[in-house]
Amino acid sequence: MTERINLEVPADPSALKTVLMIVAGLSARLDYSLDDLDDVRLAMDMLLNDALEFEELDTIAVEAEVADGWMKLSAGPFRSAELRRRVTVGREDCIDLCLLLRRTMDAVSVEGDDAAYTVVLERRPREASP
Amino acid sequence: MSAHDERRVNDPLDLKALPGQARPLEDEEELQGQGGPAADPQGRGRDESEKLDQYLLRRYHLHGDRKAREQLITMYLPLVRSLARRYASRGEHFDDLVQVGAIGLIKAIDRFDLSRGVELTTYATPNIVGEIKRYFRDKGWSVRVPRGLQELNIRLNKVIDELVPKLQRSPTISELAEAANATPEEVLEALETSQAYNSVSLQASPNGEGGEEDAGLIDYLGGEEEAYDTMEDRTTLAPGFAKLDKRERYILHLRFFEGLTQSQIAERVGISQMHVSRLIRRSLEKLREEIGELDSPEILRASGDDDR
Repeated sequence: MTERINLEVPADPSALKTVLMIVAGLSARLDYSLDDLDDVRLAMDMLLNDALEFEELDTIAVEAEVADGWMKLSAGPFRSAELRRRVTVGREDCIDLCLLLRRTMDAVSVEGDDAAYTVVLERRPREASP
Repeated sequence: MSAHDERRVNDPLDLKALPGQARPLEDEEELQGQGGPAADPQGRGRDESEKLDQYLLRRYHLHGDRKAREQLITMYLPLVRSLARRYASRGEHFDDLVQVGAIGLIKAIDRFDLSRGVELTTYATPNIVGEIKRYFRDKGWSVRVPRGLQELNIRLNKVIDELVPKLQRSPTISELAEAANATPEEVLEALETSQAYNSVSLQASPNGEGGEEDAGLIDYLGGEEEAYDTMEDRTTLAPGFAKLDKRERYILHLRFFEGLTQSQIAERVGISQMHVSRLIRRSLEKLREEIGELDSPEILRASGDDDR
């Protein structure tokens, strides 16, 4: 069964901690290892902080879906072309956010058009289960 | 020289016999760089100092001579004070840091391997600094964190260090909670509060953050990382990476270019997984600050992306 949690927080660094805490809590519920948990948290942290940097937002919406050890996190809506470029640059040797997301998440995608898009991160635990 | 004098000179333990060896060094000014007693300008040459060190170490390790051990500790205390002084401006009492550093010194003397052929100074310095940094790690909170969470965080550090080799993987929150005798929620909260820890103090150099002169574990790693050269080239070109110090680039390289997990990095570098986690976050924050101020397409061009 898929669980879904929707959050809308002020576009402020202090509010992002709440999102990260919930992401960490969900990872713990899925019995992710500490490394896996930290990966997911780090990816979300970097994505949301970049969003704050390149977007002029009042709030950020985050949706978390979890099922059978799988986690899907969606954040948006965004409009920044720079943020989109950072997330979607597909070259193997990109050195900014795309590299970090690729290393920490199983799948990264962008849904929607330039007027309003959502960044979707997906992850399964990578280490052997206990 | 009388027979008595000859005996005294030939017995390095009898320090009173040689003026240059008689007096334990009193202050760091007597040290040359980080040379410790081996660079004593009071009459002992470097070779003599090394011989004395080796003699005392052999007396202690091969014959159990506790006086030789005490002698070594006394001789190297100025080195401890010198290193502790570097960290004294960070809110901890100098005397406390000296005591902590002395523990590192004692551990270095006790663990010294005579067969490895290294100088005691070389071996002791990272041990002393490591002990001082560990003290900061355990005690140095930059913001008020409830004592219970601080204690749990310290406990978690130890538990993680124990569980990773035991499980051969990174532990889960529930495993950590069980081992630390806490609830999963408490563990999560403690991990979150660890962000409040002033991690800068762990990595900052004595003369400014991130300097190259600081003695850190990363500086004592052996072996060449082939891909690291490539990374170095790129970091030289990318202004953001160039702002990171050597150890930060190395850890990011291991994590994001070699794909090692935090636990694997912790094992390779010899620090805790939580410390790796903090270092990665801090490095990425620095990167974001630097790169965010620059035109990203230019950075990518500078890193060679346009050629591909």
